[in-house]
Amino acid sequence: MTPRDAARCGRFALALAALAALLTLGTGCAAQAYRREHLADPIMSFKAQAKLDARKMKSFEAREGSTGGTGGAGGGCACN
Amino acid sequence: MQLTRRLGTIALATGLCAATASRCAADEMLDTQTLGSLFRSFTDSGHVTVQSLMNDWAFPFAGQAALSLHWNNEHVTIPAIAAAPGSAEAVDAITTASRPITTNAFQDYVKVRNEIQGELTREHAAVDYYLSSETDYLAQQVGAKTSRDFHDQRLNVAVGTSYGWDAIKPLADADTRTGSSGKTTVHADAVATQILSPTTVLRWGLEVFLVDGLQHNPYRNVYAGGTHVPERHPDHRQRRDTFLKLNQYLSNRSSLKFSYRLYNDNWGITSHELGTSVNQYVTHGLVASYEYRYYTQTRASFYRSEYLTTSGIDGYLSGDYRMNELASHLFGASVQMDMKALAPGHRLLSRTGLWLNWERYFNSNNYSANILETGVDIHFQ
Repeated sequence: MTPRDAARCGRFALALAALAALLTLGTGCAAQAYRREHLADPIMSFKAQAKLDARKMKSFEAREGSTGGTGGAGGGCACN
Repeated sequence: MQLTRRLGTIALATGLCAATASRCAADEMLDTQTLGSLFRSFTDSGHVTVQSLMNDWAFPFAGQAALSLHWNNEHVTIPAIAAAPGSAEAVDAITTASRPITTNAFQDYVKVRNEIQGELTREHAAVDYYLSSETDYLAQQVGAKTSRDFHDQRLNVAVGTSYGWDAIKPLADADTRTGSSGKTTVHADAVATQILSPTTVLRWGLEVFLVDGLQHNPYRNVYAGGTHVPERHPDHRQRRDTFLKLNQYLSNRSSLKFSYRLYNDNWGITSHELGTSVNQYVTHGLVASYEYRYYTQTRASFYRSEYLTTSGIDGYLSGDYRMNELASHLFGASVQMDMKALAPGHRLLSRTGLWLNWERYFNSNNYSANILETGVDIHFQ
């Protein structure tokens, strides 16, 4: 691993720690179970969007140099 | 080709078995299954067309287990080289080919891809298998994931991993010098979803991909040092990204979604992606959505628009514009209709959803594409 790679990994770890802290602090003001009707609405759902996101990722991978953003590996070839 | 036929037979048999099984157990399973079908049409400024027909089927087992199956049949048409044989334009078209160049390079090239995926879930864990087959490429992947709730279900943490192995067998070609090869991908991700308020939810994810093997186009040549030489990319690539997604519910029955993704790899590409969408109930059961995405990336360290020698940069040469700096925009609009709102008493329509999605993509390489999707989902719940 080059020093440049090590620095990148360090920045990544720092981002991880910062966001973990953000999530931990965020739990204090989170919604109670009985107040979650809006969060359960399909227009707020991450799950309903997942298949569309996966198809988009496959299209973008074939036209751009990066990948990811869906929380899963795409698989398949990058031909089209 | 034989593999494609065999896959087609397997897929047909699977479909028939599924249909038979669901028919036989109709009385018991009708209230628990989900069926979905989607047609997708892709056309771009290079006149490449991709038409996909996707089918999804999911049903639960006893004991909180569920099985979901996905099949995608895709026809890809890469147009004929539109230049006179032997002309400079034809040579340029051939050297950046994304298709095998044989004696019929001046005719359209059509290939078929079949994709099958199965996922078995039980409570908070899932395993899946993926297979994609075309005449010169066979990809397989196994994966597993699990999730757990914390803080009275206000925080969910999910982790997943997968291993993919691809077999690449370039077709006979007038100038291809790449033999059979392979590629493996090891992937791991961690995703946390946090409820911030009764109307706000945040998702954050981290992903790592380790890719080894053939990662360039075996049909493409690069103009270097006054001649044409085969494209060559490094065999190893470390890819990582982190993303944030924020969904906000608004009081007028709409939602705003924001996303950001930061990507980096050891080839020197760093990218940023910003996305936003608005989703609005127009009337009961009808949702309209509008989307915008902006993307920008730096170039790979070995990419050049011109190579002075045939050894390229550190032995690598690329004619792939995805390795260059680029920026892109995407605009999208979609409508989703829950037929229950129109026919609440109808046995089938009340369980049916229809949707239509259109996207316009364009980037700084004078490339643009239109994507049209239409689909139907039936929920037997």
